[in-house]
Amino acid sequence: MREARKQATRRRVLDAARELFEEVGYDSATIREIAGRAGVSVGSVFTGFRSKAHILSEVMQARLADLYGDLERVAPHLRGSTADRCRSMFAVHYAFEFRRLHLFLAYVAAGFDWRADPDLPTMGANPRLRGMVRDCLVEGVRRGDVRPDADIELVVDLLIGVYAWNYRQAAAKPVRPEQLTDRFDRQVGVIFAGLAPG
Amino acid sequence: MNHLPIGGLSAVAEAEKPTRRAQAKRLTREKIVAAAKSLFAERGYEASTIRAIAKTAGMSTGAVFASFTDKSDLFTEIAEAEQAELFQTMQLAAAGLSGRAAITAMLHAASERQAGEIALVRAVMSALWTPGLAERARRRLERRPVTTLIAAAVRQELPAVDSAEATFVAEMIWDGYLATLRRGALGGLTAAVVKARIDAGARTILAGVQPG
Repeated sequence: MREARKQATRRRVLDAARELFEEVGYDSATIREIAGRAGVSVGSVFTGFRSKAHILSEVMQARLADLYGDLERVAPHLRGSTADRCRSMFAVHYAFEFRRLHLFLAYVAAGFDWRADPDLPTMGANPRLRGMVRDCLVEGVRRGDVRPDADIELVVDLLIGVYAWNYRQAAAKPVRPEQLTDRFDRQVGVIFAGLAPG
Repeated sequence: MNHLPIGGLSAVAEAEKPTRRAQAKRLTREKIVAAAKSLFAERGYEASTIRAIAKTAGMSTGAVFASFTDKSDLFTEIAEAEQAELFQTMQLAAAGLSGRAAITAMLHAASERQAGEIALVRAVMSALWTPGLAERARRRLERRPVTTLIAAAVRQELPAVDSAEATFVAEMIWDGYLATLRRGALGGLTAAVVKARIDAGARTILAGVQPG
C-alpha cells in the first residue's frame, strides 16, 4: 500500500514536471512549482528524486519508452533503401519531439551540463536510437547499400549528430517539423552516397 | 594618436581626460568579462548570478550593470569573443592550404582550441539550445560563422558545387565535428582519436556530395 502511494506520487511529480518544463521552460521551473502542481510537498519530491536534472531525465525516459515501443515494432517492416529506412526512423523522431519541443530543447541543453551527477544517464545519449540506427546500417551492409569497411559507430554518431543539431534552428525561430525532416533527408542522401560501395 | 593641440598643458590634460576614462571603462569591462568567464565555465550560465560575477570581479553589481545591460548581454559578449578567436584560429590553420587539406587543418585546430576550454564551450552550447537566450545570442554569434570558412574550402575541393550547397555541406561537416567533440568530451576519448573520427566524418560527407 505504501509502495503504491509512493509510485502514485512519483507519477504525479513526473506529469507535473513534464507540463511545467514545456510551458515555462526547464530553467525557469522550480522544484516548488513542480510540487505545487503535483499537489505534493517539496519534501516528497526530493524523497523520489535527487534533483531537477533527475526529474528531467526520467520524464524523457518515460516519453521515449512509448516512442520506442512503437518504433521497434515498425522498424523491421520499413521498406526501401537503407537511406530511406533511416529517413523514416528519424522522421518519426522529429514528429514526436515537435509535440513537446521546449522539453526536447531543454533536454539537449542539459546534455551539455558537465556538472550533472555521474550516476545520471547522459542526457541526449539514447541507447535505443543508437541501437536502431546501428541495426539499420548493419542491414545496409548486408544488402550492399553500405560499404563493408564503413566505421558503423562513426556513421551512427554522424547521423544522430546531424539529426540533433538540426533542432538548433528550432531554438532560434519557429520552424515546422517538415522543414527539419526535409533538411535531414538531404543530409542522409549525402552521408549514404559517401558510404556507397566503391 | 596623441595630437598635441596648441594651447599648452591644460589643453593636453583636457584631451587626455576622456582617454583615461575610456581606458578605465575598458579595464572594468575586462575584469567583469574575466570573472564571468570563469564563473560560467565553473557553474554554467544559470547558476552564475550577476551578484556572484560582481563579487568575483571585486566590484558592485551596479558597476556590472553600468557596463552590461544584463547577464545575457555579458554572456553573449564572451561567446562572441570566443567565436571570433575560434574563427581566427581556423583561418590561421588553413593559411596556405586549400580544399580538403584546409578543412582537415581547420577542424584539427578547432578541436585543439575547444578541447582546451571544454567547460566554457559546453556553457555556450547549452545556452545556444535555450530558447529566448538563443534568439538574441545567435543574431550576434552568426555574424562571422566558422562555417563560411569551411564552405569556401568545400568549393575549392568540389568546384562544381554552388554556394548554397557548399554552405549546406559545411554546416553538416561542422555539426558532425561538434557531435564528435561532444562525444569525445563525454566519453573521455583521446585528442588523437577525436581527430581521427573528425577526419573520417568529414571524409564521408565530402565523398557523398554530388554536384549539380
